[in-house]
Amino acid sequence: MEEGERQHYTEAEKQEIFDREFLPHINAMYNFGYRLTLERDDAKDLVQDTYFKAFRFIESFQRGTNAKAWLFRILKNSFINDYRKKTKEPTKVDYQEVESYYNSEDVDRQITPDLRVDALKDMIGDEISNALNALDVDFRTVIILCDLEGFKYEEMAKILDIPIGTVRSRLHRARQLLKEKLSLYAKSMGYKNTEL
Amino acid sequence: MEMLQLILDGQVTHEQREYFKAHMESCMPCFKSHQVDMAIKQLVKDRCCGEDAPGELILQIRAQITQKNA
Repeated sequence: MEEGERQHYTEAEKQEIFDREFLPHINAMYNFGYRLTLERDDAKDLVQDTYFKAFRFIESFQRGTNAKAWLFRILKNSFINDYRKKTKEPTKVDYQEVESYYNSEDVDRQITPDLRVDALKDMIGDEISNALNALDVDFRTVIILCDLEGFKYEEMAKILDIPIGTVRSRLHRARQLLKEKLSLYAKSMGYKNTEL
Repeated sequence: MEMLQLILDGQVTHEQREYFKAHMESCMPCFKSHQVDMAIKQLVKDRCCGEDAPGELILQIRAQITQKNA
């Protein structure tokens, strides 16, 4: 399940690792599961399944390493292998297109949605959460991992099994899309785009 | 543009950050864009952590593990 040497733990040690290093992340895991599936029941199943796998494969976890990243990776894999297959949701994003977009000269000159900080300050309800949920799951994921959970690019690359360059470009595109959604909210709240 | 993102996510060296801070003092588009990006990042942090996991979930997880472990 994870690279690295297999560890040997006694039953008591396994239980201790599980309680002290794995369970404290349950709320973050549940939120991640929810953001992936957008269903509370599915999130619950996904988290339960993840913890079950984590315990089963606990000897591939090395104490002192990042338990949260390890757990997130299992959850993400369960989501792709089990949940996505079940719901047969096709991947909608053409990454080739995203990559070439990002690497093109135009990226710095594109018209960014005009959004002002004071408009954002008024978004105290579910606006941001709804806007995030409206993004494609792969874009949603990188924002959650980076902005909410504070993972570094390198950790995200491991969790998602993608190169760091892809983490960066996906994150860039995700933020762009999120900004577009938020500027629509801002418009509907009556903020005018006077600064274009 | 890419630098803005690296700064935002704290993935730069101290020197790079200092260099960029100096740059922003004279570059309004970068400054504004950075302010908005930081505000959104903060908003995600504050508003998207969702609900806590249901209490019975931990019990179910424990029960499942004990069962399979026995």
